[in-house]
Order: sequence, then structure tokens, then C-alpha cells
Amino acid sequence: MKGLFEATLLKTSLILDPFQVIVAVNKAVHQQKINKMMTKTVHSEILFSLSPRKNISNAFKTFGMGDKDTSVFVAILNDHDKSTMSVIQNLIKGRQVDPYQVSELTNLQSIKEVYNLSETELSVSNTLDAVVSRIASKDIVQV
Amino acid sequence: MSSKTLIKQGAEAKLYSATFHGRPCIVKERFKKSYRHPSLDQSLTNQRIKSEVRALLRSRMNGVRTPTVYFVDLETSQICMEEIRDSVTVRDYIMSVQKSQSLEDSIVQLKPLGRKIGETLAVLHQNNIVHGDLTTSNMLLQSDPMNLNLVMIDFGLSHFENLAEDKGVDLYVLERAILSTHPNSDEFFSEILDSYTQSNPGSADVIAKLDEVRMRGRKRTMVG
Repeated sequence: MKGLFEATLLKTSLILDPFQVIVAVNKAVHQQKINKMMTKTVHSEILFSLSPRKNISNAFKTFGMGDKDTSVFVAILNDHDKSTMSVIQNLIKGRQVDPYQVSELTNLQSIKEVYNLSETELSVSNTLDAVVSRIASKDIVQV
Repeated sequence: MSSKTLIKQGAEAKLYSATFHGRPCIVKERFKKSYRHPSLDQSLTNQRIKSEVRALLRSRMNGVRTPTVYFVDLETSQICMEEIRDSVTVRDYIMSVQKSQSLEDSIVQLKPLGRKIGETLAVLHQNNIVHGDLTTSNMLLQSDPMNLNLVMIDFGLSHFENLAEDKGVDLYVLERAILSTHPNSDEFFSEILDSYTQSNPGSADVIAKLDEVRMRGRKRTMVG
């Protein structure tokens, strides 16, 4: 870690849709505003928010980009002048794609395991809604 | 969250329509009750928001469709959830069916809906979710009502209890609501009870309680 930029690097296989990240970011930013973050920075709070469980290091391991991953979902906050964006674009040797294409990299099976989604639930709800519900209500209900 | 417009005001909360990052949503805001002590007010409000969110999620996990929760803000007492678009309340649907055809035909047409409601309540009660405010306005039918895509809403008075008493009261409240909002709906309610009994193995106690509650009313007599 050299501190070149501040961003959250997420594991693409556990991201279903950019909206899932938006809900987690929304929550992380809210926690920061009211000074109730569980982790040290708002970027790590995004990782923590994404996780359905309360174990911080576990959340980092599960949702953070891994050493062997060949793709990454980057979340940047407050980058109005696109400075962080350009630093990251220069550092990552790869092809940049539309965020909505993340669905091509999703591993549905691991999403179901991590978020504990049952077939009963998926019979009345789409996977994204099931995941988003858990992220939003994590502080209140543990699954 | 973008600007919000008031769509409904109840005794406990205000409902706004808004958008949440591009998606239409409903914001349910519980307002302050100035007649209560501020700290009591805050803790009651928080408790109710929490139990609502819990019930929404637990119902969905057990296969009952409820609105997706997008964001919960305990500071401003708001829940931001999915707007169920292209839907009618069961109340409006029953009224339109009864209006458009003869009594006999409407009883036949509403039968499948009664079955579906009974099955849904059985699932909730088997998982110890007591809705607390079952009315035909708190049930929505999404897209074509004939498909019976039943969505349960407003879990604001819900709680988790494995007591036949509470479940009986839940059914009693629904019975009162149906019989008083919809004329000639006796058969509709008995259809609900029938399918409830069939899908819920533990229903005998609940039905016994329902009969008891019918005799005395919703509130237990607290004498002595």
C-alpha cells in the first residue's frame, strides 16, 4: 500500500449489478456523516457494508479484490475532477468496461452462498432485490 | 435521494414518493409525537422501524413478497423502500370485481384470491410473523390481478410471536376489516380461513382462539 489513491477495489464475482454497490456506498456515506462508521475510512466502510455479516476482516477478505483476480470493480467517491480516476486508469493494466457489464463476471453460486439466499426466497424475489434488502437491513436483522 | 412528494399521511407515519438512485421508491417517515417524552418517543420509533424492517426481510426470506428495502435511516426515522409499481390494492380489486358483475359471479372470481391470501397468511404465521394490521388495503396485486402476485405491505405494527392468541387476533382484525369494507364478503373470508387451515398445520389452536376473540373482541379483558 503506497497510498497513491483512495478507492475501494471490489471482487467482481460477488457483484451482481452496480446498484448493489450503490446501496452499500449510500449506507457507508451515511454512516460516515453521522460518525458511526465501524471501520476507519469510508472506503473500507463500503466493503463492510456490502457484507451481510458483522466481521470486518472477513468482509475485507470476501468482498475485496483478491491477489489472483483478473478483474476488479472500482468504487471512487467525491472525484469531481476525475483525478483519482485518472491515477487508477494509469495504474491498472487492463481494459475498462461499462459497470453494468459486471454481470458477466458474477458468480451467482457464490452470491447465493455469501448472502445465504434460499430457493424459497428467490421464487418471489429477484436476486438483486434479495441482496439489496440484506445490505440495507444488516444493522437490524442478521441472517 | 431526490425531492420527495407527500402521498399519504397516517397516524404514525408519512409516506413520500421519491427516487433512490434512479429507482422509484417510497419513503416512510415516522414523525415525532410531541405528546410523548422525547427519549421515549425516540426509542419507540426506533423499535417500530426495526421491527418493520425485520418483518419485511423475514417475510421475503420465507417466500412472501414484500417491498425491497433500499435504505434505513434511524436518525431521521425513515425507511426507503421499493415502490410496487403497476399494482392495485386488494381492496380496490375486490370493489371493481363486485361492481362489474353479479354477486354469484364475483364470489366465483374472488375465490382464487381468497385461497392465495389464506396461503400467504399461513406462511407468515408458521414463521411466527404477526402482521398486526391485516386489511385489504395492505395487500397489493402487482401487474395483472389474475396472476395473483400478492405483495404484503405495511408491517409497521408487526411482531414476532408464537402465540395462538396473537395470530387469532391477526385473523380477527382481517375478518373485521373485510366484512366492514366489503359487503357480501362472508364467503370470501371463509375461503381465506379454509385455505389458511389447509396450509397451516398448527392452525387448530389459532382458529379456536379466533372463535374466542370473536366473542370478546380484540382486547383481552384485564380484570383482577
